[in-house]
Amino acid sequence: MEVTEAVRTRGLSKTFGRQVAVGGVDLVVPRGGFAGLVGPNGAGKTTTLSMVTGLLRPDGGSVHIGGADVWRDQVAVKARIGVLPEGLRLFERLSGRELLSYNGQLRGIPKAEVERRAGELLNVMDLTGSADKLVVDYSTGMRKKIGLAAALLHNPDVLFLDEPFEGVDPVSANTLVEVLRRYTASGSTVVFSSHVMDLVERLCDWVSVMDRGRIVAQGPLDEVRAGRSLNEAFLGLVGARGDGGPAGGEGLSWLGATPS
Amino acid sequence: MAGSDPLVSAGTVRVGPMVFVRLKLRLIAGNLRGSTQRLLGFVFTTIAALLFGTFGFLSMVTLRLAPADVALESVTVLLTVFLVGWAVVPLLAFGLDDTLDPSRLALFPLRTGQLVTGMFAASVTGVWPLASLAVTAGAVAALATGIGGMLLGAVVVLLHFALCVMLSRLVTTSLSGILRTRRGRDVLAVSAVLFILVAQLPNLLLNGGLSADPRAMLHALASALSWTPSGVAARSIADGGLMAVAGAALLALLIAGAGWLWIAALRRALVTPDASTQGASVRNSRGLLAGVLPDGPLAAVVSKEFKYARRDPRGRVGWFAAIAVTGVMAFSMYGDGGAVGGTFAIAPACIGALMISVQWCNVFGIDGRSLWMNAVAYGTDRDWRTDLAGRHLAVATIALPLLLLLAAVAALLAGDILWGVPATLTAWGVLGVGLGVGALTSVLVPYTVPERLNAFTGAAPGQGGIAFVSSFGVLIGTGLLALPIVLPVLLGLTWVSVLAVPYGLLVSWGGRRVAGKIAFGRYPALLEASSMAT
Repeated sequence: MEVTEAVRTRGLSKTFGRQVAVGGVDLVVPRGGFAGLVGPNGAGKTTTLSMVTGLLRPDGGSVHIGGADVWRDQVAVKARIGVLPEGLRLFERLSGRELLSYNGQLRGIPKAEVERRAGELLNVMDLTGSADKLVVDYSTGMRKKIGLAAALLHNPDVLFLDEPFEGVDPVSANTLVEVLRRYTASGSTVVFSSHVMDLVERLCDWVSVMDRGRIVAQGPLDEVRAGRSLNEAFLGLVGARGDGGPAGGEGLSWLGATPS
Repeated sequence: MAGSDPLVSAGTVRVGPMVFVRLKLRLIAGNLRGSTQRLLGFVFTTIAALLFGTFGFLSMVTLRLAPADVALESVTVLLTVFLVGWAVVPLLAFGLDDTLDPSRLALFPLRTGQLVTGMFAASVTGVWPLASLAVTAGAVAALATGIGGMLLGAVVVLLHFALCVMLSRLVTTSLSGILRTRRGRDVLAVSAVLFILVAQLPNLLLNGGLSADPRAMLHALASALSWTPSGVAARSIADGGLMAVAGAALLALLIAGAGWLWIAALRRALVTPDASTQGASVRNSRGLLAGVLPDGPLAAVVSKEFKYARRDPRGRVGWFAAIAVTGVMAFSMYGDGGAVGGTFAIAPACIGALMISVQWCNVFGIDGRSLWMNAVAYGTDRDWRTDLAGRHLAVATIALPLLLLLAAVAALLAGDILWGVPATLTAWGVLGVGLGVGALTSVLVPYTVPERLNAFTGAAPGQGGIAFVSSFGVLIGTGLLALPIVLPVLLGLTWVSVLAVPYGLLVSWGGRRVAGKIAFGRYPALLEASSMAT
């Protein structure tokens, strides 16, 4: 059977104490290209991505990646996905080059091949000059780039990135986008969460909108935004709080005023 | 234009030292909110500080009953300890504390003078400073004579206290630039352990019976310290006359000097950038063992563990602590002098193996927040077992020669180098058992090892109990499981030591096998427990 979906979850849910972080999510991502997962803070994007990538055990529901169950068929799934979780948690006391070769060796790629790929990735990511510095001394942009390089090293089919552009300078963001474009050009899939609507609009052909632990809209970009900009559509979907004209007509009258 | 707001004065604002005192009190209160454990800790330290202050003061008062020269010499030494303590302890205990890190205040429109008085006031606020002032004040009761002497003594005590605070601020501020870099914090983390050990030294010397006459030692120490600021202060209090006035003047001068240096350091600290991203490159060494091992996950984990043992302060502190604790315990066994016989060769080596095992009761702790990188690559329980094997191999590579050395030295001291053979074999066996048990505690009761070490905690807030269970689990589990090989050897059946190494290998293999299965089953929980916020 030909599987046309890269990712499919059914009724995925997770509760922390009394708080329902994810309440029955049916996430669908078609194969190939960029898919964006957008939603306000606390919508459950990170929790969903953690469960999809096998880093957090769901309370209920199922996750399939390329037709394989994430929690039952771990060997097949883990060889097939690349992950960059939130928070840039990396091996701080390895150098960038060592981090890449550690990842490659963990996955059983021959040493010579790991070194060749690592060299090329460092080069493309513009990290060759800092390859032998410890990751603990890297800036945010450099950390995102080395994290992405580590996630790409074993050439996965599907790449999951949690807020890959957060806190990244425009130059590094551009490098990240270029590398990802090359990666998807051959039919691979990138799923990423983001707050930056312009970027999602520019890159993605597929968007899933989350709010309060649920998917509130999902589909091809043009269908979701329905003639508006994605930002307007998004604010409409999540029911933007405080919609009443210019912010704070009552207070803040002193702000920006020019007395005397 | 927003800058010309009539209600915000254009120049500096009048901010008195009380603002800083209130800020510090509020920070302390805010830190306690919502956490019963921290509240209990605060109550405990407050009680400890009160007891310290009261008993310190009372014991100073009882010095009055001692001969005058003994009292003077004791006060000299005590005041010096306070002065050094003020300079060093805050640095080691807290790194930099939020109230007093000048860089946090850099954006406020404050003159350096305001900052100086404010931060001085904030430093004095707290139970420990007040307790130490109380103890210092005891010096007046111990030494001063007459009402004039008392009054002058009180002035000298206050000046000495002010000097302590000033010196403490000067040290923290001038090092704050370095402490905000990663390298500076690394050095500090390791030196905290050194400091604790140095503090143990007098204890050891006394236990070892090496001290001659305590009176003579006190006299020598005090005469060496008599011209330090603390020595001058002590003599001024005792003298009470013109000498006291001169002493007070000298102290005031020193305070002014330290204050001036502090202001200079503060000015510099406020405009010195954070240099933490300018790290140097590391050597890209492969390591001997990693070169021998077949390419793959095992070699990757082994070489990563070696790098962490060397580069991460937590790794260095772990090994250092294991070796130091063993050394201290072995040394105290020889204290009585009658330590000859096989037991005294075998026991230290086995204790050493046990101590090293305890350090690895939480093998994934040092990876902590980065452990997910392994988790996304491992698809079977065999992968987790290989990971554990890599960690054990790295530990064993460092530990086996160390235990050999320890056993040889212990055997020599016990009277016969030949004892070293069973001692080494038994210790290696115990290490194997310990690592096997440690693999189980690592997956059953994992906890987060904070990235910023300090001398007082080894786990994330709220996980202290888990860390305790984990290390005692290894201690007791290893002790029990190692009995079949250690007991016969200690009782004289030395040939049993031949079986120790295979036994240790078997237990560690079994431990890894079970732990690998458990880890595969509950690795999301493992990730969560070992990457808590610290």
